[in-house]
Amino acid sequence: MNWLSDNVNQLALLGAAVILILTIYVAGKYIRQMKTEKSTGVLAEENWDGIGEYKNELPAGWAYTFLGTIIWGMWYMIAGYPVDGYSQIGEYNDEVAQHTKMFESKWANADHETLKAMGEGVYLVQCSPCHGIAGDGMDGKAADLTVWGSADGVLETIKKGSKGLGFPMGEMPAGLLSGDAAKKVAEYVAGGMKGEQPAEFATCAGCHGPDGKGMGGMAPDISTYGSPDFVQMVLDHGKKGFIGTMVSFKGRLTPIQEKAVGTYILSLSHGE
Amino acid sequence: MFHWLEKRPFFFSVGVFLVIAFAGLIEIVPDFAQASRPVAGTKPYTLLQIAGRQTYIKDSCNACHSQLIRPFKSETDRYGPYSLSGEYAYDRPFLWGSKRTGPDLHRVGEYRTTDWHENHMWEPTSVVPGSIMPAYKHMFHQNVDLETAYAEALTDKIVFNVPYDQPGMPKLGNSKEDFPAAQKMALEEAKKIAAEMKNQDVKDAVARGEIPEIVALIAYLNSLH
Repeated sequence: MNWLSDNVNQLALLGAAVILILTIYVAGKYIRQMKTEKSTGVLAEENWDGIGEYKNELPAGWAYTFLGTIIWGMWYMIAGYPVDGYSQIGEYNDEVAQHTKMFESKWANADHETLKAMGEGVYLVQCSPCHGIAGDGMDGKAADLTVWGSADGVLETIKKGSKGLGFPMGEMPAGLLSGDAAKKVAEYVAGGMKGEQPAEFATCAGCHGPDGKGMGGMAPDISTYGSPDFVQMVLDHGKKGFIGTMVSFKGRLTPIQEKAVGTYILSLSHGE
Repeated sequence: MFHWLEKRPFFFSVGVFLVIAFAGLIEIVPDFAQASRPVAGTKPYTLLQIAGRQTYIKDSCNACHSQLIRPFKSETDRYGPYSLSGEYAYDRPFLWGSKRTGPDLHRVGEYRTTDWHENHMWEPTSVVPGSIMPAYKHMFHQNVDLETAYAEALTDKIVFNVPYDQPGMPKLGNSKEDFPAAQKMALEEAKKIAAEMKNQDVKDAVARGEIPEIVALIAYLNSLH
């Protein structure tokens, strides 16, 4: 009798018993009535093939309820829905506006931990279908985010090239640098472009500019590589790259959410 | 009053008709509203997309996936802007569905891509751990029935006045004599999709001039937004 320990099951069983008893009682009552009682009353004038009809008054409760529903129906048509300007879309818009306001004020100055936690939530819903729950890109089905944002990530990009972010400079060919040169540049870029610029960076400067800022929107600003700002840029642009296509999340995520996703992704490669 | 009606079957019938006609009118009139016209930018499906849609129906995708995003924040956050009735203008029949075993697909073209669909239809759990969706490997080697798709599109055009062959709208043709041309266009469209796919069998089939179901289905899914 394990199932009886559930109170919903107990309630259902009780209800079933009550319904059964009531049915037997009511049916019995009417069957007895049909057997013994004779009908009385005034017959209406018309009859059909000898079958007549009594002139019965409507039961009061039934009649008032019927009248009530007619009056309520008229009120509903005229003063209630939909003529008084209520709409489901309006309610939705209000709800969203209210939520957006609350969201923005609540998380305007969110700290690192909060952003990371928020980012993880958004990541699991929006990003994990392609990049995988662990961010490893699921055997090359998408970019491996566990190295992205580090020197290894830059090395990957230099080795394989990059395309499809939608900048006027277009595709970055694979293998522009190799060996030690690539390594030096990778460490320099992943380190936030601080310290002395390696001479090999000249190869990158052709498109990204000597300061790496992308020459006013001609190419991606790689001085922000490895920061949430860069992730935000990729989320806004989408990417039609060598592995596959990533859609743009512009408008689907708020700037705070994008920053949160960036914070979370970086925690994957930086091991924070 | 009711005795009077009962004695006069003709007026009774007229009364019944009026009451039912009023209810019918309330249901029909909103369909003439501006909101029910095709939303700006809504286009009829191309031949390849129709073929994909038929595959979608044939494999009963609509039994588990809805195509209707309700105006609730929880839904629009996950699936995109809520659906408008005018967006279904060229859906015959619409595939709203009634049950979400899987997620809603009305705007899946906005956030999933060809390569993702390819991985997912081949083996759903490879991209969505814990997914209970079955694999649809047969779609990779079964070809679509383009002739039936063409017949459907042509019927839509001739009977329902769906604006094919108008400026900015997909091309179709006017009779079965135009089928070879339409078939060629569908193949061109299929080639673009196959180029973004990795499965060699599918690529080979498209190069031979065949259209596997998966290609048409992806074309259809990508058109949903």
